[in-house]
Amino acid sequence: MRLVGVAIVLGGWVITIAGLLMTSSNMARAIIACVGIGVSIFGILGVLNRYYLARAIWKK
Amino acid sequence: MKSLKIKAQFLLAVLGASAVLCFAAPIVEAAALMDTDLSGVKGPDTAQIAEKGDPGADFTGTANDVTMADSKNGLTLADLANQAGQNKIAINFVWTLVCGFLVMFMQAGFAILETGLIRAKNANHTMMMNFMVYGLGLFAYYVCGFAIQMGGVAPVANLGGLYPLNAEHVVTLFGKPWALFGTKGFFLHGATYDVGVMVMFLFQMVFMDTTTTIVTGGCAERWKYSAFCVSTIGLGAVIYPLFGNWAWGCGWLSQLGVNFGLGHGYCDFAGSGVVHAVGGITALACAMMIGPRIGKFNRDGSPNAIPGHDLVIVMLGCFILAFGWFGFNPGSTLGASGNGALRIGSIAVNTMLAGCTGSFAALLYMWMRYGKPDASMAGNGLLAGLVAITAPSGFVNPMASCVIGWIAGILVCLGVEFFDRVPKIDDPVGAISVHGINGLWGVLAVGIFADGRSNYGGSWNGVAGGVRGLFYGDAGQLVAQLVGISTLVGVVFTMSFLWNWLVDVFVGQRAHPKAELAGLDIPEMGALCYPDYVLKTTDYGVGASSGVTSGAMASKS
Repeated sequence: MRLVGVAIVLGGWVITIAGLLMTSSNMARAIIACVGIGVSIFGILGVLNRYYLARAIWKK
Repeated sequence: MKSLKIKAQFLLAVLGASAVLCFAAPIVEAAALMDTDLSGVKGPDTAQIAEKGDPGADFTGTANDVTMADSKNGLTLADLANQAGQNKIAINFVWTLVCGFLVMFMQAGFAILETGLIRAKNANHTMMMNFMVYGLGLFAYYVCGFAIQMGGVAPVANLGGLYPLNAEHVVTLFGKPWALFGTKGFFLHGATYDVGVMVMFLFQMVFMDTTTTIVTGGCAERWKYSAFCVSTIGLGAVIYPLFGNWAWGCGWLSQLGVNFGLGHGYCDFAGSGVVHAVGGITALACAMMIGPRIGKFNRDGSPNAIPGHDLVIVMLGCFILAFGWFGFNPGSTLGASGNGALRIGSIAVNTMLAGCTGSFAALLYMWMRYGKPDASMAGNGLLAGLVAITAPSGFVNPMASCVIGWIAGILVCLGVEFFDRVPKIDDPVGAISVHGINGLWGVLAVGIFADGRSNYGGSWNGVAGGVRGLFYGDAGQLVAQLVGISTLVGVVFTMSFLWNWLVDVFVGQRAHPKAELAGLDIPEMGALCYPDYVLKTTDYGVGASSGVTSGAMASKS
């Protein structure tokens, strides 16, 4: 689960960089970068943090 | 009609006078200065000074003090040119070093701020983490961090060129060069044993140190000391220097303008991203992994306030940090003479204004939301404003600084509430909100508010002209900043997470629960911070929101 989370976080950055290479439009690049940032944040808070929350000390 | 005639006469008179001046006045040509012109230049009589002294400062700092290459030839133009060059670089060296010393003093601010925000039973442990980031981080940075970050930064005109730092590892992907890390300056040996390189090393080292000290706040009161030591070495040796290289060491982020036409590339004047966001994001990775303090959350997931033990040192720490920030931001010009460095005054004022509006906004937010003006959040608002203005400080005007600081003050309050209530990540001092969220906001703010009026030698990151954000007509700059944010969130987080995961596997990140409940001072450090005091222990949640929400939020919850 943690490796999946890390892959998603890094995947967000790959999306951003792909946007730079795919188009020269600033608008499109900005939108793709925002999507990339969103994916990374999802990986952090939605996947990795969920993994650790499930094992949190206050739930035991 | 009459007035029109008078105006016409006046105009003719001016034109006539101009024509007379042009043709009649002798043409003054700039005469070339020769060595012979300097033959008569002599300093004051030193024997007279020896006899009478110089109380009026009339005879100190004269031609006598210009070093002559050959005293037989007397003073020459070459001597004067060399002296002028050395004076410029001397001013820049002194400026950069003194600013570096100020930034070093910020460690004291961080140390007492964090210690004040945690419980007395962990004070020695927290103080020692803040103390040792200096020793551990410095050594790691000396061994390899500096070389990775700055090994290919040359030339840097303000510091005399730094020509020995001329080796950057570059790969070509998709037809573009991607500069990844520097390869010169390990152990500061060889050609990097150079006066300019030493100045650069000192200044960059104290910046790195700031990053490492941010993490200790996010993980306070439950981080095993040995794990902290190993984690800090990795951050100072590799993680921070890599992003530092991409942003400041002529790495690929800084070249987004040259290679992809995105404004001036990623711009981060003094380190909202490089220093603060890297620290805040690493704190996020560690705090998430280590988990919350015992008692921070109840079984239903609701957060408890765990107040700090000394509000006086918290506020003093904030003041020390605000003072040190005058080294952090204006010092990032790396000089006070030449290449637009006289903008230091405006950078200092921007810094001051953003800190002021940040604390004001946080104070108002807390007062309106919780009915009390929370002291620790006002302090964190000050720091949030300072963090947010760090990247834009060299590129924006005072009005924009106020807006940036104001938004930062609100963001830090929202951030603390968010991390407490939604992802339930325990951040005892608010480090993730202050440095992580506002570091990213500062990076974004450059892409919005940079006004194009700064001119640091006519170009920035190899692109001519001043840096302009979206509001001043350059949408590409905003994209470059977004790419920087994505790199921070995607790559820096990944590196920090993986490194600390390794530390967790081989060292173990979390202190033993019994040690945590008793306080980490004795089990981890072997000595209490306050041995003469009777410590009151409250079992928060074991049957009781973060230290930063000690006052207003706690009374409301």
